Amino acid sequence: MSRQAIQRLGFAVLTIVAVLVVAPIFLVVAVVVFRGLQGISWEFLTAMPRDGMKAGGIFPAIVGTLLLTSGTALVAVPMGLGGAIYLSEYAHDNWLTRAVRLALVNLAGIPSIVYGLFGLGLFVLFLRLGTSVVAGSLTLAMMTIPVIISTAEEALRAVPTEFRTVNLSLGGSRWQGIRRIVLPQALPGITTGIILGLLRAAGETAPILFTVAAFYMPQLPRSPLDQTMALPYHLYVISTQVPNMPGTIQYGTALVLLALVLSMNILASVIRTYFRRRRQW
Amino acid sequence: MCAGARLGFLLLAVTLLGGCEVRPDRTPEPTSSSAAQVIENKGSDTMVNLALAWAEAFMQIYPDVRISVTGGGSGTGIAAMINGTVDVANASREMKPEEIASARANGIEPLEHQVARDAIAIVVNPANPISQLTLQQVSDIFVGKITRWSQVGGEDRPIVLLSRESNSGTHVYFLEEVIRLGDTKSHLLFSPETLLLPSSEGIVAEVRSNPNAIGYDGLGYVTADQKVVAVAREPSGPFILPSVTTVHDATYPIARPLYMYTCGRPEGALDLYLRWIASEGQALVRELGFVPLK
Repeated sequence: MSRQAIQRLGFAVLTIVAVLVVAPIFLVVAVVVFRGLQGISWEFLTAMPRDGMKAGGIFPAIVGTLLLTSGTALVAVPMGLGGAIYLSEYAHDNWLTRAVRLALVNLAGIPSIVYGLFGLGLFVLFLRLGTSVVAGSLTLAMMTIPVIISTAEEALRAVPTEFRTVNLSLGGSRWQGIRRIVLPQALPGITTGIILGLLRAAGETAPILFTVAAFYMPQLPRSPLDQTMALPYHLYVISTQVPNMPGTIQYGTALVLLALVLSMNILASVIRTYFRRRRQW
Repeated sequence: MCAGARLGFLLLAVTLLGGCEVRPDRTPEPTSSSAAQVIENKGSDTMVNLALAWAEAFMQIYPDVRISVTGGGSGTGIAAMINGTVDVANASREMKPEEIASARANGIEPLEHQVARDAIAIVVNPANPISQLTLQQVSDIFVGKITRWSQVGGEDRPIVLLSRESNSGTHVYFLEEVIRLGDTKSHLLFSPETLLLPSSEGIVAEVRSNPNAIGYDGLGYVTADQKVVAVAREPSGPFILPSVTTVHDATYPIARPLYMYTCGRPEGALDLYLRWIASEGQALVRELGFVPLK
């Protein structure tokens, strides 16, 4: 075989591999969209479930997921951002910083069910928050903070050192430099990181399993100490626990969850490209 | 509500966590008054759809009461009761003495309410010619002593065993009353070959598609595309199919009560709810394929 033939063969194999990787994603999206659209209606999005959840809508699950994601953001964004600024701008390279970094890397790798159990032990039982929106949000926040810290730190470090030194040479304080120069420049990267972190939180089942999710609760939570339904867990129970569940409801729920997550993902890419174009360095 | 001092602890938690922003915007009513009362209900997966139907129907009559239902298994519900995080634990088995002891250690006195009865049906694929088994045969099959259908008069095929996992009340009941035949000294266990499935729906789906499978499920989960096996206590018979009648006259051998546990004597809306379940709620029990109390 000539060298060209071998090269063509090699490229062909690589193309097939690339297609094989992407194909399942398109297949999943196509199946969910195709089968899910039949289940989507105004009632499905805005009504309470009825008839043993085999009819009606998934409104409380949608609201529950939005609430949990907001609760997570409320806790995780300030803490994550603060941690990232400290690590990137203030921290000295000593054993403490190294330990914090090591912990972050490891926290990001912990399976979500472990966070769920930890949340059950700490928030639900020890702090007596009960299975509640607060307990669920805090558990999801713990899972999200490492993601936000590492992406935000990355974005802060990408801002050239010159920006900081010029600020100091002009008599600006370190904090002024961070507040007025470094942070605005790093903002697109930070925003992307935050959205990606929250996205993961919105789609997780394991951490909310023990800490907040209700199988059935046809009302919206009235206080942060109430339980709530949530989309990922709802999808799990209607697929495994309820006999004779109509497929349209299962796929409809999957489609709503997918749309929620994908739209946040697209928002993240839009923000990233928009700011990157405006960047002058 | 079982978890009495929840609100105080919440404030403590908020301070501990450095004043993170999640705060109760509205203080929940601590006791049952005219305001909406929340009933948190958790436990048995066998009962979860029944509990859901009860909650749905009850809230239509009493819109002021808010009921949330969660599954997870009888063990999950009982653990939550011991920890004081639920108002009602659903259980398809009785609480064990050690569980009651740990609840008491936490200052909780669990009170048992029988709310319905359930027969456990032995199910096989409709293509399987087997239509009756004795309890002893079912036990031998599930411990792995009998491994081929031909040994109980069927075709020469391997037997695939399906069971719920061990936090299921149905699993525990089946182990104690069928596999060990009610003998408390027996140490027989499920065969290690047994496939443990996380839900009753999982067993239904597998039995539907696998001609070699045998499984067990609450009567409420039996659908037309599974074959229910008639069961006899003695080899001489009679072989009885599970139904409301055969559970009531105690001729069907594998039937059990379903329970709800409350912390102490129920009050207010919870008391109303449990009374409603024992009376009007029993109509739904039959509708969902379980057996009403009387």
